[in-house]
Amino acid sequence: MQQHSDRQRLIVVGNGMAGINTVEQILKLAPEAYRITVFGSEPYPNYNRIQLSYVLEKSKSIDEIILNSREWYAENDIELHTGTTVTHIDTAAKTVKTADGADTPYDKLILATGSRPFMLPVPGADKQGIVGFRDIADCETMLEAAGKYRKAAVIGGGLLGLEAAKGLLKLGMDVTVVHLLGELMERQLDPTASHLLQQELELQGLKFAMGQKTEEFLGGERVSGIRFGDGSTLEAEFVVMAVGIRPNVELARASGIETNRGIVVDDLLRTSAEGVYAVGECNEHRGVSYGLVAPLFEQGAVLAKHLCGVDTAPYAGSVVSTQLKISGVEVFSAGEFMDASDLTVVRMHDEWRRIYKKVLIRGGVIVGGVLVGDSSQSARLQQWIRTGAVMNDEYHAIVMGAAAVSAGSGVAELADEEIVCGCNGVTKKMIVEAIRERELTTVDEIKLTTGATRSCGGCKPVVEQILKLTLGDKYDSAAAKQAGICDCTPLSRDEVVTAIKEKGLITSKEVRYALDWHNKEGCSKCRPALNYYLGMIWPQEHADEKDSRFVNERMHGNIQKDGTFGVVPRMYGGVTTPEDLRLIADVAVKYNVKLVKVTGGQRLDLLGVKREDLPAIWSDLGMPSGYAYAKALRTVKTCVGSQFCRFGTKDSMGMGIVLEKKYERLDMPAKFKMAVNGCPRNCAESSTKDIGIVGNEGAWEIYVGGNGGIKARLAELLCKVKTDEELIEIISAFMQYYRETGKYLERTSDWIERVGLEKVKAVIVEDAAGRKALADRMEAALEQVREPWQEILDNPNLRERLFGEIRIPAGGPKE
Amino acid sequence: MTREQLEAAGYRLVGNVEQFPARIGKLVRLGESEIAVFKTTNGELFALENRSPGPRGGTIVDGIVSGGVLYDPICDWRIGLADGAVQAPDCGQVAVYPVRLVDGDVYIGRP
Repeated sequence: MQQHSDRQRLIVVGNGMAGINTVEQILKLAPEAYRITVFGSEPYPNYNRIQLSYVLEKSKSIDEIILNSREWYAENDIELHTGTTVTHIDTAAKTVKTADGADTPYDKLILATGSRPFMLPVPGADKQGIVGFRDIADCETMLEAAGKYRKAAVIGGGLLGLEAAKGLLKLGMDVTVVHLLGELMERQLDPTASHLLQQELELQGLKFAMGQKTEEFLGGERVSGIRFGDGSTLEAEFVVMAVGIRPNVELARASGIETNRGIVVDDLLRTSAEGVYAVGECNEHRGVSYGLVAPLFEQGAVLAKHLCGVDTAPYAGSVVSTQLKISGVEVFSAGEFMDASDLTVVRMHDEWRRIYKKVLIRGGVIVGGVLVGDSSQSARLQQWIRTGAVMNDEYHAIVMGAAAVSAGSGVAELADEEIVCGCNGVTKKMIVEAIRERELTTVDEIKLTTGATRSCGGCKPVVEQILKLTLGDKYDSAAAKQAGICDCTPLSRDEVVTAIKEKGLITSKEVRYALDWHNKEGCSKCRPALNYYLGMIWPQEHADEKDSRFVNERMHGNIQKDGTFGVVPRMYGGVTTPEDLRLIADVAVKYNVKLVKVTGGQRLDLLGVKREDLPAIWSDLGMPSGYAYAKALRTVKTCVGSQFCRFGTKDSMGMGIVLEKKYERLDMPAKFKMAVNGCPRNCAESSTKDIGIVGNEGAWEIYVGGNGGIKARLAELLCKVKTDEELIEIISAFMQYYRETGKYLERTSDWIERVGLEKVKAVIVEDAAGRKALADRMEAALEQVREPWQEILDNPNLRERLFGEIRIPAGGPKE
Repeated sequence: MTREQLEAAGYRLVGNVEQFPARIGKLVRLGESEIAVFKTTNGELFALENRSPGPRGGTIVDGIVSGGVLYDPICDWRIGLADGAVQAPDCGQVAVYPVRLVDGDVYIGRP
């Protein structure tokens, strides 16, 4: 271990992804070469800026997007000063001055000061309702505005502007994109591709004001509109500026370091000052300032090698590729994209399928490409451009779709060191090694292990291809191609549930935003499903979302075809008393119910109750809800059992009542029915219930997965137990396992065929510790349940919200 | 329009905007008419006749509201809140009542 004093002092100004990624690479190459000090203006350690949107949605805390914890800095002996701004660099004395007046000496200095959004300097730009699009506050303002205002304008038709516009459109605003030029994304697309993209976006509902220069923002304190160069105006109550970013060069410029648009660097990231380097969005290399993540990793790698005395090829610039991710619009662009006299262009424009492909070739070498409407070959095209591949018949056939490309071949030629996930800097090699070493079989597992696809998800198709290629025959495309839980998302039930747990999502709105639902308000399929999953995962934290409940579960009654409701009070184990029967009869008379029906579940249904009478009838009954409408335990059917029956070996009524009282009211993936029989004659139909219990001398048999409904299925024997305690623990564990792994609306009869009885036996019967853990989680969930009828009666606000009606007598004016 | 103009045009004051919770339908009985009133996430109010357009009858006030769309609680058809039109692949029409706001007071007009 070298002494501190022997080491060179390295200062990093800027505590973001560029600076810290460089530091990480230095530590890998030569952990003891430098004594490192980091200054950051923000009060946090290094975090993942790409994931700020999650913080905004409260789906992740700041802590969760931290890439390097304070402990990491401490472990690596790095001195970290957060909330500290560097105000000046004395390049002669080699010291930096901070806002507190202190001077710190350096031998080597890395500037990683990043960039900020550019705000158009036009009259009225300081009005309320005009924001950039970069940080938490901006996103919060956007969400808030969507709730209050309708008309939005986004200035800037580049990548950032279109994504902001799409976001506002999904929030229900009327959005117009204002663009100075005639073509969208003119820095990545040729006119044909731009116009195709614009048509697609117009179909999705975006409006465009093209070729318009913003001259002035109109309005009083708050913006009300925009006046353009030609004198025309556009109404806008909310404006997002997304015209570009500006490298933060002020510190370097004030300290006499050469700056242009960015801090000027050479191929080793050296600035004009000796010992001072610049990396990331703040620099300008060969006339280019990059605003993307991938070049930052490439620059950091070169700089780290240089600083550690390791041989390195100089940084020759990055082939910038752009992938726009807007649902229903695939756009990819890399390298050169405009026609020129010295280029050979391969072009395909299918106007019927709205696909446009273009490959640009100079001297036989592929130098660029544009794909619109079909970006399946983007990984390959980018690789060819990076490596300067020579165009040939095979490549031509592949990219133009003339040849049947075998699945996964697009990534076969990707170099090991190629960064697949730009957001998290994950290379192909890292993914392949993870798949092999840990025997991964799904993209989800790759995400958990390597972080690839974790942030924006844009690389998911490529990651999936790498998985296919690595697993070969073992790749189960059926498993990989699970359909989404509804049309709002491509994510499967398991992906959604995993993400909820991982990201700590508590409300279904958070889920829909954090997991980028196409339809941010959800639909009648996912809304009730998410409400269930969240309640199951966070029994204490999640507040039930009434607006996402089906009518029956929202109103706690069974809606009928005439708009009236059925009311079914509990009758535990199908056992009642004369007093209760009398009360039910009196109430039925008082409310003039249309019919009293004995149900299949051994209780009484009062049919034809008016919606507005529901709370009053519950109050008069004074009985708990029988949940005849719910995705929860309905009834526990019982036979007479040993209390009276000559054949009864067990007290089935007693056990049925115990079970019904224990498990009632708890949300399940689907309706759940139970039965307890006192002997094998099966008078309570245990063989067609989700759980059927059959008593015989000295033991209980437990049958599961039965169904007497649409798809009749006989229950199968799970196990036999001797004591009532064992019986209850097995039932608790079984129900909880089903709650945790079942898809919403999937009955146990389908679930058990999907999971397999053997698996269920292994988890519930053979694994005592696992069984106990499941039973404990069941107890925790049961602690949260409340009697819904009484809850509505006790809570005037809730009652008003669900049942309150407004009556306006007839005969107003003109009637 | 002013309150006087609205009343002259046959609108009736039915309550304050605060009485209408977001995404939970509220039943308004205006004389003999049953009207289901919905407030969307971004605060817009819509009023539709409380009758399912589907083949099985029933009411729509307790449907699930998503943006400007109501999912019929009986047949799960999608009904546009603004125009009452049933969206593809199904078809049908629910009568729509015009809604006007004056200083937070909600007026409903004739369908």
